[in-house]
Amino acid sequence: MFGKGLLQGLGITFKRMVGPNITEFYPEEKPNLPTRVRSSMGLERDKCISCNMCAMACPNSVIKLTSEKNEANKKVLKTYHMDVGRCLFCGMCAEVCPTKALKVTQEFENAIYEPEDMQWDMIKRAERKGKVE
Amino acid sequence: MSIEKTEELILNMGPQHPSMHGLFRMVVHLAGETVTNIEPKLGYLHRGMEKLAESRTYSQFIPYTDRLDYLASPHNNWAYVQTVEKLMGVEIPERAEYLRVIFGELARIASHQVCIASTALDMAGWSAWSYAFRDRERICDMYEMTAGSRLTVNIMRIGGMSAEPPEEFWPALQSFLDDTPEMLEEYYGIFFGNEIAMGRLKNVGILTKEMAENLSITGPVLRASGVDYDVRKAEPYSIYERFDFDVPVRTGCDSYDRTIIRMDEIVESIKIIKQAVRDIPGGPIMAKVPKVIKPPVGEVYHRVENPKGELGFYIVSDGTTKPTRLRIRPATFINLQMLPIVAKGWKIQDVVAIFATLDAVLGEVDK
Repeated sequence: MFGKGLLQGLGITFKRMVGPNITEFYPEEKPNLPTRVRSSMGLERDKCISCNMCAMACPNSVIKLTSEKNEANKKVLKTYHMDVGRCLFCGMCAEVCPTKALKVTQEFENAIYEPEDMQWDMIKRAERKGKVE
Repeated sequence: MSIEKTEELILNMGPQHPSMHGLFRMVVHLAGETVTNIEPKLGYLHRGMEKLAESRTYSQFIPYTDRLDYLASPHNNWAYVQTVEKLMGVEIPERAEYLRVIFGELARIASHQVCIASTALDMAGWSAWSYAFRDRERICDMYEMTAGSRLTVNIMRIGGMSAEPPEEFWPALQSFLDDTPEMLEEYYGIFFGNEIAMGRLKNVGILTKEMAENLSITGPVLRASGVDYDVRKAEPYSIYERFDFDVPVRTGCDSYDRTIIRMDEIVESIKIIKQAVRDIPGGPIMAKVPKVIKPPVGEVYHRVENPKGELGFYIVSDGTTKPTRLRIRPATFINLQMLPIVAKGWKIQDVVAIFATLDAVLGEVDK
């Protein structure tokens, strides 16, 4: 019978119409993201040993860091800069970090108004937000 | 009045057009509503992937492969890392092979769901679109909990996998597998069984077996033209020879078969995943590979069955940390050459159907 398929399709639509909602009401309800989600980066300054592994693993030269030697002749992180405009968010930097000082974080609301806001000073960001868990 | 007597109309479709699946432009020459010629214009999404690879180390290029066929990024990772592993002669752990198969087949399902959804959408079937995308979200969730990303997954590494799936992955996978028969029934009921969809797709855009073979078409488009060819069977890579599955073949040669064959492939992928989940051994997920990857001097070609067709990587190594030359054999770029040939003589609305059933992804076409 012509039209049987149409009616069947409408039947499915009606069945789903009375079923439970599957959409999230995003700005009101924040999603609970898994801990592996790499939507932002966070640095724990004290853990960093300035080994430069993250900068070498990065495919796009996003990371630039400088260090200085302290009294005990140990390297201490001085500046840590990320140019996130070039970042692929591939997470390779966090993966190679030997001390897990650099981590992926789940803040995903990264929209900005000015291009210069894409230059992240990771030390300042960490101080502003408190330590990364 | 014959076609020749009407004035030719040149219509630009794309690059910003809802049915162009990315940034594809075609210049359609029309006589009335009948297509007399199509000129595909490519390159709007060209990023120079092959050249970029020459200035990246072997590991650094993995995230870039995600951005080729972005609807099935694990497959691109897989093709690339296997090529490098073949060049280096690395054996990867069993568990990693099984995980690669699971994620590869999940990617195939997700990609086919997008094809079904976008074909429905191009045929003005809005509700059918949302059903397939709803189910694809569950696969994206599984990617997300394992690798940390929903689209550009970056899940495979040279020598294994980037991460072990978390505990909650396995129940999510099981419930997805359990729900698939109902999902497929819904897709059929809401779209493929619909008389309007059949009217728009059946016997439209005939790609005969000879044409498909001569144009080196691969993937579901080829199999819908009655050719039984699948790289997983023709040249089994990874551990595919251990699984019991069929290669769906249809002989309709039309747009309808090119879309519905993807439903058959989802069924087969489910079969493979079920066997992989049953047999997966424990153990490490990374082989012992050096931190700085320096493959020996030489060249290698490796191909896999991407959801869209045959995806190949050709790498020339000079023994340094970066490839001298990397060439990508994309599936949809080559499949796309059938468009001007097949679409000739059909009406303008059929061009949309033919292009939709090709399932072209412009990230892969333009590289």
